[in-house]
Amino acid sequence: MGIIEQASSYAAQIDNLILIVGAFVMFWFVLAQGIIFYFLFRYRKKRQPKAEYITGEKHSETKFIHWAHWGVIACDLVIIFFAIKAWYHVKQELPTADTTIKIVGQQWAWEFTHPGPDNILDTEDDIVTIDELHIEVGKVHHYKLSSKDVLHDFSVPVFRLKQDAVPGRVITGWFKPIKTGEFDIQCAEMCGIGHGIMAAKLYINSKEDHAKWLESPNLKYTLYQEPKEEVEQ
Amino acid sequence: MSADSHHHEQSFWQKYVFSVDHKVIALQYLFTGLFMGAIGGFLVYAFRMQLAFPGSEIPFYGLVNSASYNSLVTNHGTIMIFWFAMPVLIAAFGNFLIPLMIGCDDMVFPRLNRTSYQVFLLSVVVLIASFFVPQGAFGGAWTAYPPLSTTPTYSLTPWGAILWITAVTLELIAFLLGGINFITTLMNSRAKGMKMMDIPIVLWFIVIASVLFMASVGPLVAGAIMMIFDQTLHVGFFDPARGGDPILWQHLFWFFGHPEVYVVLLPAMGIVADVMCVFARKKLFAYKTVLYTAIATGVLSFFVWAHHQFVAGIDPRMANVFTVTTLLISIPVAEALFVYIATLYGGSITFSTPMLFALAFLVEFLIGGVTGIFLGASGADIFLHDTYFVIAHFHYTFVPIAIIATFAGIYYWFPKMFGRMYNEKLGKIHFWGTVLPFNTIFIPLFYLGMAGQHRRIFDFSNFPGLASDGYQTLRIIATVSLVIMILFQIPFVINLFYSIFYGPKAERNPWNANTLEWVAPSPPPHGNFEELPECYRGPYEYSVEGRELDYWPQNEKPV
Amino acid sequence: MRLHMSMDWRVRLRVPFYLLWLSVVGFCFPQTTFAGSRIKAQYQLCKKCHGLNGEGRYDIKTPAIAGLPAWYVVAQLKKFRNGARGKHPQDINGVRMRPMSRTLNAKDIAGVAEYVSKLKPTKPVSTVKGNIAKGELAYAVCKACHGANAEGNQVLNAPPLGMMNDWYLISQLKNFQRGIRGFDPVLDPTGASMVGMAQTLKTEQAMKDVVNYIFSIR
Repeated sequence: MGIIEQASSYAAQIDNLILIVGAFVMFWFVLAQGIIFYFLFRYRKKRQPKAEYITGEKHSETKFIHWAHWGVIACDLVIIFFAIKAWYHVKQELPTADTTIKIVGQQWAWEFTHPGPDNILDTEDDIVTIDELHIEVGKVHHYKLSSKDVLHDFSVPVFRLKQDAVPGRVITGWFKPIKTGEFDIQCAEMCGIGHGIMAAKLYINSKEDHAKWLESPNLKYTLYQEPKEEVEQ
Repeated sequence: MSADSHHHEQSFWQKYVFSVDHKVIALQYLFTGLFMGAIGGFLVYAFRMQLAFPGSEIPFYGLVNSASYNSLVTNHGTIMIFWFAMPVLIAAFGNFLIPLMIGCDDMVFPRLNRTSYQVFLLSVVVLIASFFVPQGAFGGAWTAYPPLSTTPTYSLTPWGAILWITAVTLELIAFLLGGINFITTLMNSRAKGMKMMDIPIVLWFIVIASVLFMASVGPLVAGAIMMIFDQTLHVGFFDPARGGDPILWQHLFWFFGHPEVYVVLLPAMGIVADVMCVFARKKLFAYKTVLYTAIATGVLSFFVWAHHQFVAGIDPRMANVFTVTTLLISIPVAEALFVYIATLYGGSITFSTPMLFALAFLVEFLIGGVTGIFLGASGADIFLHDTYFVIAHFHYTFVPIAIIATFAGIYYWFPKMFGRMYNEKLGKIHFWGTVLPFNTIFIPLFYLGMAGQHRRIFDFSNFPGLASDGYQTLRIIATVSLVIMILFQIPFVINLFYSIFYGPKAERNPWNANTLEWVAPSPPPHGNFEELPECYRGPYEYSVEGRELDYWPQNEKPV
Repeated sequence: MRLHMSMDWRVRLRVPFYLLWLSVVGFCFPQTTFAGSRIKAQYQLCKKCHGLNGEGRYDIKTPAIAGLPAWYVVAQLKKFRNGARGKHPQDINGVRMRPMSRTLNAKDIAGVAEYVSKLKPTKPVSTVKGNIAKGELAYAVCKACHGANAEGNQVLNAPPLGMMNDWYLISQLKNFQRGIRGFDPVLDPTGASMVGMAQTLKTEQAMKDVVNYIFSIR
C-alpha cells in the first residue's frame, strides 16, 4: 500500500487483503469498462446504422454472461476466504497479553489508563492520561474499551485498527505495535459537536524509552483520591 | 369516485395543489425533490468549502464551526437520500410512469396518492423547520446513532433532533402510502393483453423497490418511534443505563438502510434499461434474467445489513456470516450489469443526452460496485470503515443513481412530461459538466480514505498525520470540482424552465419508442389516453428482422 | 369519456415556479440564520453548551459566561488550549471544553472574548444555602485579589465572581482544592495560586457559606 505506515503486526495482513481484493476487482473493472467502451465505439450509429435483433434468451447468447457469472463467484470465494482470515486474526483471536490498557472514550477526549510499572491495572501506580497513549513496541497489548457517554470509535490508522466504544459495555481487543514513533488516534464514530477534534496521540516507544516514561511519566497532575469517610457525587 | 370521473371544471387549487391526477402528483414530487436536492447541494458546498479552506468564511454561507459542520453533513445525507433520491426516483417516476406505461388512466388509489404527497410535503416542512429552532439543526449524522441522538445533553440540539426524527418518520409513512398504490396499480390496471413479461423493466424495478421498501421499513418506523419516546419521555430503549441497548437502533436502522440502497438503485437501473434500449435500438438482453437478478438482489439485501456494523461492537463471529452474504450480493448485481453491457452489443447507438446519462450510469456505477467489495470484506473494513473510502464508494453508487440516472429519466421523458423538447446542446453541456467533475471529486477521496482520513471531521489540522499539504491539495481538488459540478447544473435549470415554456412542441413519440406512454398525447391530459390502448407484445421489440420500422409499439395491432 | 384535451399545461406549471421562488427563499434562509459576522458565528458554538444567553446550564455543568471580562475569557481559553486546564482525567467537564477551545485561533479567541464580555450578564440565582456571616469571615482571604465586592482585579488576574453560578464556584473551589484545576504552575500560575487559597475552605459547607456571601455583595 505504502500510503501510510504499517505499525501493527496485522497491518500488513489487512493491506495485503486490500491488495488481493484490488487485484480481482481491477480485473473485472478493466474488463467491463473495456467492453463497454469498445461497444460504444463499435456500435455507434454511424458505423452500425441498423441494430441486430438479439433476445438474449438462447443458450448460445447467454453463455458469455454465465461464464462471467461463475468467474465472479470464484473471485468472491477467494475474497471471502482472505477477508475472514484477516478478520479472524484481528477480531476473534486474542493472543496472550503482555500488558493491558484501559481506554475510555468521553465527549471529546480519550482517557487512557496505563497499568504503570507493576503492569497491573487498577493499582495505585496506574498512569492515567488524557489524549496520550504510551505503549512499548513489540509487546502484545490488550485493550479494554468503553465509553462514558455516547458511541465513540477507537481508530488507529497506522494499526489498521478500529473498534467502537459502546457505553455500558467493555470490549476487549488486541494489537501489537511493531514500529516506534508518534501517530494519530482518531475518533471514528460521530460523537457530538467536538467529534472533529477528538484527537489523541499514540507514542510507541522502544523498551528503554518506555521504561523511562514509566519511571517519570512527566505528568503535571496527580489523581485525587476521595477520602474514605466522605462520599460525594 | 375515481379520477376519470372529474369532468367538471376544477378550481386552481383542485387542479394543481390538491390534485389526484398521478401526473400532477408526480411533478409535485419531482419539483419538491429537485428543490430539496438543491438545498442538499448547498449544504455540501458549505462543508466541502470548509474542508478545503478550513476556518475561512464561506461565500453565501459564512463561517462553519464544528457544530454547524455536523449539522451540514447530517442534513446533506438525510436530504439527499430521503428527500431527493426517494421522491424523485420512486415517487416522481413511479407516479408518472406506472399508469402511462401500463396504459391506464390513473393510479388505483388516487386519493391515497394525494395523501402521500401531502404527508411528504409536511415532512419537508418539519425538516426545514429544524434548521430554525433554538440550538440549530440535528448534527448526529444521518444514521442518528443513540445515545447521541436521544440525549439532548450529548447532542446539544434538543429540538433539532426531535424534529429530524419526526420528519424522517413522516417521510417513511408517505412512501408507504405511495408504495401500496404502485404495487396495486401495476398488478391490477394493466392494459388489455399486457402479460407479466410485457411490463417495461422500469416498472418492474420501481415496484420491486416498493416491495423492498415496504418490507424493510417496518423495523425502522418502530425504531423511530422508540427514538422519539427516548427523546421526549426518556424511556430508555437505547440507553444502557436504563437497560436499553444503543446497538439495537443500529440493527433497526440498517435492516432498513441496506435494502434502501436497492430501493433507490432499482428504479435507476430500470430507467437506464429503458433509455438504453431506445437509443441502442436493441431489445433488452435477457429480460427474464434482468428481472430475476433484481428479485435476487432484493431478497439478498435483507441479509446483509450488519456489514455496516462490523466494528460496532457486534459479536465478531456474526461478521463472518455477513461478509459471505455481502459478497454474494455482488453476483446478481454483476450479472445485471453484464446483461446491460450485452444489450449494447449489436446495437445502433445514438449519443443523445438521455443516452449519455444512461451510459454514464453504467460506467460510474461499476466503480461504485467494485469498491463495495473492499468494504464488504470484513478484514479490510476494519481499516476502511468510516473513512473517506466509504464516502467515495457510496457516492459512486448514489450519484449515478440519484443524479445521473435521474437526469437520464428527466431528459428522456421530458417531452412526455411537458409536451415540449429540451435543448440538446444545453443538455450535453450539462452532461459533461456533471460527469467529469464528479469523478475528480471522488477519486481523490478514495486516496484520502486509504490514507486513514475519517469522515465527519470538520478540520484535519488537529491530526498531524492528515494535515500534510499533499492531502490538503487533494481536498481542494475535490472541493473545486464540486463547485464546478454545481455550477454546471445552471444549464440544466435554464434548459428545464426555458424548454417547459418555449421549447419546440414535442410529438407523441419523439424517440420512436415502443412503450405505451408514447401512445398518449404529449403532455397527456387528465385521463391520459383518448382511448385505452391494448397491448400485443413486449416493450423492447426494436429492430425486429423483416420489419421496415426499427420499432414496434406495444399497442400496434399485429397484421 | 374522460377527455381533457383543453387543459392548459402552462397554468399547471405555475406550481414549479412557486417552488423555484421557495428555493430562492430557502437559499437565503441559512445565510440569515447561520452567517453574520465571523465572531458571531464562532459564538454559536459556545451557545450550544453555555446556553442561548450565555447564562450557563446546570444539567451539563457549564458556567455562565455572559459579561465575563474579555481578559479573563482569553486567559482561560488559552489555558484550555495549551492543556493547563481540561487535561486532568477527573475534570470531566473541563475535558469537554478543551477541544472546543481548539476550534478557535488566537485572533478568534480575542474576538470571542470581546463578544462574550459585551453580552448582558445574567445574574444567577442562589441555589445553595449557607451562613453569610461565616462566609464573610472566610471571604477575607479572597478579598485581597477578588475585591471587596467580588468585582475582580485585572492587575492580579482575579476574575469577578458575582456573575458566576454558585454551584460552579463550589465545583471550581473543589477542583482547586483537589489539584484538578491549577495543577500546572508554569502554564497556569494564577490557577496554581488558587490551589493554596482553596485549602482554607475546609468543608463543603464553608464553600457554600462563602459563595452565599459573594452573592450577597455582588
